[in-house]
Amino acid sequence: MAEMWISMGPQHPMTHGLWTLKVKVDGETVVDTEPDLGYIHRGVEKICESRDFTQITTYCDRLCYASANTWSHSYIYAVEDLLEVEVPERAEYIRLIAVELQRIASHLMWLGAYAPDIGNLTIMVWGLREREMMMDLLQELGGSRMHYNFPRVGGVKRDLPHGFAQRARAKVSLFLNRIQEYEALYDESTIFLIRTQGVGYSKPEEMVNHGVSGPNLRAGGVNYDVRQAHPYSVYHELDWEPPVERPSIKGADCYDRYRVRIEEMRTSANLILEALDRIPGGADTYHEPGDPMILGKSPSRAPEGTSGFHHFEDSRGESMFYIAGGGEGRGKQPYRVSIRSPIFITIPYAAKCMIGHKVADIPAIMGSFDPCIGETDR
Amino acid sequence: MASSDWLNIRGLVENIIGWSMDKTHDLMPKEIDLQFTITPPEGIWPSDIVIGSILRPQEGFANIQPALEGFFSASIICTIVFVTMMLALLPITYIERKLGARLMDRIGCTTALRSLWVGESGVTAGDWWDRLPFGLGGPIGWLNRFLNSIWGNNHKLDTVSRVNNRSWHGYWFLLPGIVNSFADFTKFAGKEHIVPKNADRAVFEIAPVIIISTTVLVFAFIPFGPHYYASNPELSVIFMMAIFGVAPLGVFFAGWSSNNKYTLIGGMRSAAQLTAYEIPLLITVLGVCVISGSFNIIEIVDFQYESGIWNIFLMPLGAALFLITMIAEVERIPFDMPEAEAELVEGWWTEYGGIRWGLMFAAEYMRSFAACVLFALFFLGGWEAPFQTLFESLPIVGGLVEFGFSLIPGIVWVIIKSYVLFSFFVWIRFSLHRVRTDQILEFGWQWLLPLSIFNLALAFILRIELWDNGWNLIAPISMTALGVLGFIILAVDEDKEALEEMRRPYNSRTIVKASPGTHKENDNDAIRKAYSVYAGTINSPTSGGITDKELIQ
Repeated sequence: MAEMWISMGPQHPMTHGLWTLKVKVDGETVVDTEPDLGYIHRGVEKICESRDFTQITTYCDRLCYASANTWSHSYIYAVEDLLEVEVPERAEYIRLIAVELQRIASHLMWLGAYAPDIGNLTIMVWGLREREMMMDLLQELGGSRMHYNFPRVGGVKRDLPHGFAQRARAKVSLFLNRIQEYEALYDESTIFLIRTQGVGYSKPEEMVNHGVSGPNLRAGGVNYDVRQAHPYSVYHELDWEPPVERPSIKGADCYDRYRVRIEEMRTSANLILEALDRIPGGADTYHEPGDPMILGKSPSRAPEGTSGFHHFEDSRGESMFYIAGGGEGRGKQPYRVSIRSPIFITIPYAAKCMIGHKVADIPAIMGSFDPCIGETDR
Repeated sequence: MASSDWLNIRGLVENIIGWSMDKTHDLMPKEIDLQFTITPPEGIWPSDIVIGSILRPQEGFANIQPALEGFFSASIICTIVFVTMMLALLPITYIERKLGARLMDRIGCTTALRSLWVGESGVTAGDWWDRLPFGLGGPIGWLNRFLNSIWGNNHKLDTVSRVNNRSWHGYWFLLPGIVNSFADFTKFAGKEHIVPKNADRAVFEIAPVIIISTTVLVFAFIPFGPHYYASNPELSVIFMMAIFGVAPLGVFFAGWSSNNKYTLIGGMRSAAQLTAYEIPLLITVLGVCVISGSFNIIEIVDFQYESGIWNIFLMPLGAALFLITMIAEVERIPFDMPEAEAELVEGWWTEYGGIRWGLMFAAEYMRSFAACVLFALFFLGGWEAPFQTLFESLPIVGGLVEFGFSLIPGIVWVIIKSYVLFSFFVWIRFSLHRVRTDQILEFGWQWLLPLSIFNLALAFILRIELWDNGWNLIAPISMTALGVLGFIILAVDEDKEALEEMRRPYNSRTIVKASPGTHKENDNDAIRKAYSVYAGTINSPTSGGITDKELIQ
């Protein structure tokens, strides 16, 4: 059959968002690919220039619809670097709990989205079922179900509510049991294995060169987790290790990327349990909003010429915020905000990984990289 | 001895038609005298002039009565069978919807099914047993509450329980699933018919006609009972399989004429897949025909009736092959590559909309239903009750059991068996993933074709060597035992190590082999060499015995 270009997107089941993947196929074989991004560019970076530092948190929540909390925290750490704010330790623990809950929810969303990509609808509902528990917990913290606006400059919005620790322990332990069910349906299914193993190899050195980070990179055997490599928050105080997969010599295939995310959910769940035990002041005490235990003092203005920077382990990779403060008497608002999206960097590499595989492998490979177009186009 | 039951639809219809025809015949006047005799005046004409003739309606009617009777009874029986098939289809979508929802929402299959009537987390489907008169339903409630307390997904925290309880829909949990199909039909019927601008219009319009008509035609040869069929030619199996094989042509037409790249790929895949699976399917069916000694479906069922042994016990391999190839033929998961919605949107029917899409979707379910009914007829004894011969030959209660079975018309068993099989289809659909095109074809040509030929040879041996000498129980028992043994061997992989390797259990601290066959034990040096490219900048997990924490610091 003659070669032809197929334009998959912007509305296409494979895309998990709004973007186009142009695929050149020879019969069933993919010969060339060309990703086309930018359909939902909202100009978040520009909007941020006319908002106060506290207002920007809500915009950062909306960067990624599947993992809102990690993005607002990512911003908050950068702005705290800019304003040189001391954060109380209890607030750091609460942030860690919130972020890890969000990481589990995001990975469950990925698990649920990946299953229909290779033809199983059951896992989708199972994944979203457990995500519901995480969303309930996050709702208790932030008051909302998707965009929490939870962190504050210098701390968090609210303390852990009464009974939160008990509910969180129950749900996270239940979730740890249910991970085994996913594994029963995925790892013990020969069809899943033949669909994912040996498909979509991504070489670790190429991923490093492209700047791919997060679970996708750790699936390639590279032990680079920002939480460990450049510790922030209280991650260094807890006893944990980032999950790293052992790929074959050809690189990480879809199965490696699936495994590393499953294990990361386990790690996050254990982190939450440990943080609940070690939180200063105890998980069952409650402080009113604004209490110095959970909210440090912070200036509202950044002097001219200062800048803040932070890189953060998002659910999908390494997110970075660079904030230049002050300028022209607008001390309350940033002069410039720059956002590094991990998936914006991953998608072109993922598109490269498909070449040589079958058309049917496109969703399997693309889904395994966990694209989120909200943050990609920002 | 042909099987029969009291629901003799054919006989009834023929009797009624014959009776009414006879009555019509009798009501007709014997003669209608339309003769006029004109007596001309003397001398003009020698004799009387006779105009007109005597009509004999009864005689004329008697000439065409057999043809008329045949025509009317055939049309009525066809209508009855068609309506039966359509009504039997309604629960099919209901099963798909409900069972699928339960499997998706619940932890496991058994919990899922039980929740239909037990309810979960203390919420039962309406406590209907409390409304039975005189407290008759009390024990049912006790049993349900007991089951729920043991296996219900109760959790002491409300917020956890709430998640488990999401699919409970209220008292009318049964009805909406069945009425939904009518609502769907109204929606489809009311939609605009759009033909793509560059489509090949004639072929685009003809393709659904080919697909739907041939699918409906399949049911012309499928008997629902000993007297419950539209038509029964001598070689009905061959006729039916031939018609079953026409639909792929329509699918290919649809894919090609839509002038869309997705439909083109879907049509190609469909053609390749259906061709690859048609051959093992036909050879398997041939095996059934050989062992039953007939190409007629009713005689195949009668054979199982007479021998008292269902074909599934004689050829379990054949049953498995038939099931697999049929799932591929009706394009359901795991073999639904032609309409893989993840990459091909909707495959070959992407461009169809409205009532054409609705009817083709209905045709899809008709094919699934036909596959289930055929499996019931070929392998599960058709309209014979499970172990009927065995129960009837019991010493004391045998007569009673025989009477009880004789009260149930055969169609009930056929429909029940086909629904159970369809539930199995649904179970497969919601537990497995989709197989890739090349893997489907490889599986078809490499495994199913040789196995089906082996199955055919087995059928020849069984028929020639054993049937002619008279059955004894050794043949079915040994064949079933062999089949079960094979299944167990396949299910329980003996090579545990290889299985563990295939699963690649996660371990972040020790070096384990990745996928088997991709690299060898001593390839770790090569991995290390590959990693050394960036090992200087980023800590590699394979850099010796140092832990990663030490490396970071």
